[in-house]
Amino acid sequence: MGMKRWLACLLGLLLLGGCANSRPIDQIQIIQQMGYDFKDDQYIGTAVYPTFKQGPMTKPNMLTTSSPTVYDLIPRLSAKSALPIEEGQLRLILFGKQFAERGIEQITHSLARNNKVGSHLFLGVAEGSAKELLDITAKTTLSDTLYLPNLIKQNEQSMNLPKTNLHLFLYRYFSPGSDPFLPYFEKKGGFVKLEGVALFRDGRYVGHVDLRDSFLMKILLGETKNGVYQLKVGERGKQGEDRVMLQNLWAKPTYKWRRDGDRHVLDVFVHIHASVRDYPSWLDEPGANLFTDVKKKMEKELEQDMRRLFHYFQEKRIDPMGIGDFVRSVTRRWDRESFYREYPDLDIRPHVTVDIIHTGIGE
Amino acid sequence: MKQTLDERFLISPFLVFFIVHATQVGVGMLGFQRPLMEDAGQDAWMAVLLAGLATHVLIWLMYRLLAYSPSGGDIVSLHKHYFGRWFGGVLSIGLLAYYALAAFTVLQSYIEIIKVWMFPLMGAWQFSLIFLMLTYYVISGGFRVVAGLCFWGVVIPLATIFPMMAFAFEYAQYRNLLPVLDHSPTQILKAVNDMAFQYLGFEVLLMYYPFLKNAPSSQKWAHASNVLTIFLYLVVILISIIFYNKEQIAHITWPTLTLAKIPEVPFIERMEYIVISIYVLVVFPNLVVAVWAMARVVKQLFSIRQRRSLPVLIACLFIGTLFFEEKSDIERFIQWTSKSGLFLIGVYIPLLYVYVWVVEKVKKSLQQKQ
Repeated sequence: MGMKRWLACLLGLLLLGGCANSRPIDQIQIIQQMGYDFKDDQYIGTAVYPTFKQGPMTKPNMLTTSSPTVYDLIPRLSAKSALPIEEGQLRLILFGKQFAERGIEQITHSLARNNKVGSHLFLGVAEGSAKELLDITAKTTLSDTLYLPNLIKQNEQSMNLPKTNLHLFLYRYFSPGSDPFLPYFEKKGGFVKLEGVALFRDGRYVGHVDLRDSFLMKILLGETKNGVYQLKVGERGKQGEDRVMLQNLWAKPTYKWRRDGDRHVLDVFVHIHASVRDYPSWLDEPGANLFTDVKKKMEKELEQDMRRLFHYFQEKRIDPMGIGDFVRSVTRRWDRESFYREYPDLDIRPHVTVDIIHTGIGE
Repeated sequence: MKQTLDERFLISPFLVFFIVHATQVGVGMLGFQRPLMEDAGQDAWMAVLLAGLATHVLIWLMYRLLAYSPSGGDIVSLHKHYFGRWFGGVLSIGLLAYYALAAFTVLQSYIEIIKVWMFPLMGAWQFSLIFLMLTYYVISGGFRVVAGLCFWGVVIPLATIFPMMAFAFEYAQYRNLLPVLDHSPTQILKAVNDMAFQYLGFEVLLMYYPFLKNAPSSQKWAHASNVLTIFLYLVVILISIIFYNKEQIAHITWPTLTLAKIPEVPFIERMEYIVISIYVLVVFPNLVVAVWAMARVVKQLFSIRQRRSLPVLIACLFIGTLFFEEKSDIERFIQWTSKSGLFLIGVYIPLLYVYVWVVEKVKKSLQQKQ
């Protein structure tokens, strides 16, 4: 009797287990990249999904649709797809510049609420249309359906791009003391090229900086490793003969907020431990200690570039460096309004120290 | 007067450590940061600490109160002893209602999470049926099985979920913790009030006290357990403060689960699903202990055997889950549980203690006069 009853219970449990809807991988359309554009008063959505051919070959395929509203895009894409669309594997969302200028708040809030997408999702801005860029990557890559996400990851890990992903974007977007930024892509011939960092004010695209400046951003944000920077150290005039290539090994920014008379001053101390990858041959003269001189020049130029970058941000009234957030952390009862009223005229003074750790295995 | 329980039903005093902790930590751990940081921002961790210290005082008070209970009984026999059969019975029924509310809230809020994150199409009844059948199975095994469940409900999540929190340090913004004490005492006290609910659960001790072998000696374990709970809440709130900012967290319903989106391992990309699944082991003891307490109150009050009352109580909970599925309902239940729980622990128990203490004093002085 007792045995039978428990068996019945067990059976019931097994039956209930079947209630969940399962979705085998070959019966869904896994979207990996999504593009949003705005053109002629219509929103255009582009989805890139892999189709699995024989063996390890996967081929990226595209679906495109247009709609007068943003939320309607995915349902409309469904109307063109034979299999149900799943967004759980989404790796990249690319916004066309026009779309980004109109503001990406809608998508942002929708993503913040969406439990299906991961926090590591990349976002990006395309100079022209996102569709075109995704089209190029789908055509030119043979089996790599994750070309753009891998491109971003690679550049964040070893080059000049500061770290970005959905979590960091939302963090900076919602933070009262900073503004978000995203990688910025351009079409160059038949290729897609990472061109720098797209800057936002309250979810609206307002401009971008190139990859050289993004190196400074990366360091000023406190990301300690990687990135390369070319500096002019001489006046010899010949192309390439007076530049050095600096590689950041370890850098640390320290911010100091103080009052100078009736103005606030932000001192930014940056200490860069770098290796010099390439340098002109005249620096190599034996005996002469030209490096100390060059170091001074590098420090000066870096300081000047940083000042220029901060001025640009201040002019645009954006704060991608999170200076507001830093000041909040050292000010009691920080007031956002009054800080950003003062922000465009803020005196920001960068002080750079460069330590050249080594110059490679040759002298 | 009730005689003490047979020794084969009793548990070792150190197991109180696991029961108290298992009942304190529940669904609340997944989303307690939001109201806290709304009130006290980066100073929310102080509220966690203060509420935890207040809990220590209340645990101490509860042990003092239960020491007055006739022959090591529970609160029901204490009610009967001091307030008589009828009024004491009414008070105990109030307690029963509270445990029922707590059990129902736990069940509903976990089902809500499952539905939002994992199975949006699933009806609440399917999950609650499985859950409640398991509850019946555990409770019919007796209090020792319940205690065993609590043990695993503490050990397994602590070993699996807790270490995952460390992944969030990749995105740590330590400056979020500054400036310290930038909020007024009223703001912090408001956050303490929000936080106090998260420490609730230890009040089931009022019912299982007689099941402890050498009960007064278990007090140190209850306090140790509360220390662990404070520690866990403190770690989670500190990580949340450095990981999110105040405005961002206002947009996230379950910040702890969203934190679990960060770890990335090659064979499984989305850790939060693992966390939710393991979290059954955290939530289940909450439910089981509350339902057990309900059945125990019924037994003590009406002398109905648990085997008979348990199916009825569980059926009531099950029917309840059929009717309240909306988010606003669940939030209202959480509000009620929170308010009644805080009243029970923060107002009623201290008053009861004062009353009992005075009565005993008066009795003693009368005896001395005679």
